[in-house]
Amino acid sequence: MTGLAIAALLILSGLFVLGVATLGIFRFSTMLNRIHVAAKCDTLGALLVLAGLMVLAGWSVLSLKLLLAIVFLWLSNPVASHLVARAEVRTCRNLEELCDFLELDGDGELVPLAPEELRSEEKGER
Amino acid sequence: MNEKIKALWQHFRDWVEGNGPRPENEVVPPEPPPALPFTLRPQTHRTRFHELTIRERYEQWLEQHGLHLFSSLYAGLSVLTCALLVTLLLVIVADLPPFGDPANPAHNEVIQRYVERGGHETGARNIVAGMILDYRAFDTFGESAVLFTAAVSVLMLLRASGRTRAEDAALPGLILDSAQPLRGPPEMRLHTCRRDDSILRGVASLSIPAILLLGCAVVANGHLSPGGGFSGGAILSTALILCANAYGFDRVHAFFPERTFVVSSSGALLAYAAAKGYAFFTGANHIASGIPAGTVGDILSGGLILPLNICVGLVVAGTLYGFYALFSEGEI
Repeated sequence: MTGLAIAALLILSGLFVLGVATLGIFRFSTMLNRIHVAAKCDTLGALLVLAGLMVLAGWSVLSLKLLLAIVFLWLSNPVASHLVARAEVRTCRNLEELCDFLELDGDGELVPLAPEELRSEEKGER
Repeated sequence: MNEKIKALWQHFRDWVEGNGPRPENEVVPPEPPPALPFTLRPQTHRTRFHELTIRERYEQWLEQHGLHLFSSLYAGLSVLTCALLVTLLLVIVADLPPFGDPANPAHNEVIQRYVERGGHETGARNIVAGMILDYRAFDTFGESAVLFTAAVSVLMLLRASGRTRAEDAALPGLILDSAQPLRGPPEMRLHTCRRDDSILRGVASLSIPAILLLGCAVVANGHLSPGGGFSGGAILSTALILCANAYGFDRVHAFFPERTFVVSSSGALLAYAAAKGYAFFTGANHIASGIPAGTVGDILSGGLILPLNICVGLVVAGTLYGFYALFSEGEI
């Protein structure tokens, strides 16, 4: 009974996170904001839902498979979002109007970065 | 109360859709459509006192009245077609036998034979694999041939030709505007992007061996568990595409050059044809084929199913990776 309650709690909170992610994808206007929401909430939501299913399955091979699914999702989802965001930075034409660029200087402070510098860094030859 | 809820809902919708007061610099003027990179040669054969042919009069009528007539007919005809199709399909659905009824025409001696004697006759524990690669292997051969043909067609269409711009300009029917490049600025092309993302490389080096192993396992266990050549080949091609994205196509070319692609794809297809042709020949003439069926459940069982699965997997993996490489690079 306790296990069922814990599983229900985990799955429902996972569904809540996924719902927030869906709302956020419609709410935000630029692509980088949207990928931010989608990546973070998808990763956490999938973890919570799969963890709830693991609690339901108990100690079994099925739980191990679900754990592997979590590991694979945590490996692949952030990397895929990172690549999509990087492609956007490379190809978006009016990125300078949409957002500010910051850079970590030597003292750990965030300072503005000139867009030309970023462009030359990102679009260099192979 | 009702209006309050309505106002709240409207407020929520505006918030979700971002319909609030917008900053002024968000309005982007529409860009003019890009000019065609070529101009067609003008027609010169028309003389001054030219009588209109029927075709030209038809074209003139089309220009003046045709569009109006078409747009008024289009709505009515589309509604009529949709209503007709929906009615037809609904009538057919109403005429179908009830789902799961043992007296249904689908439950005949074929399915009974598959379920009862499939294991003995094909040696495969996975009945689906026994069906598609033994009872109906001719059909699967056709599917593999379709995939191979698709890969060959894409290879013919998309392969980088190696012609220079001067040679392109000399082609008949096309006048190249030399000021405009055909394929956009070089930094916008996908394949000139650097493929040296360290995050992707780290994850790829972890997951590529696992993906390759899983693909091989799915192909080799096709007669024992769900899976087989098609799904396993797709997994294998995923590993190849991931490797190409993380380390560049040169790294994939080191172990999967175009020659290997051609030899493995066509060789696998030919091996499939030869093996199945032998089985058909012996089966049709009631000769013992000499291929042991093995013990049901062993990895080396199922007669020809395991080698056929490997052949299909090779074709599928090569085709999917070949599509990606051709669309991205113009060469395999």
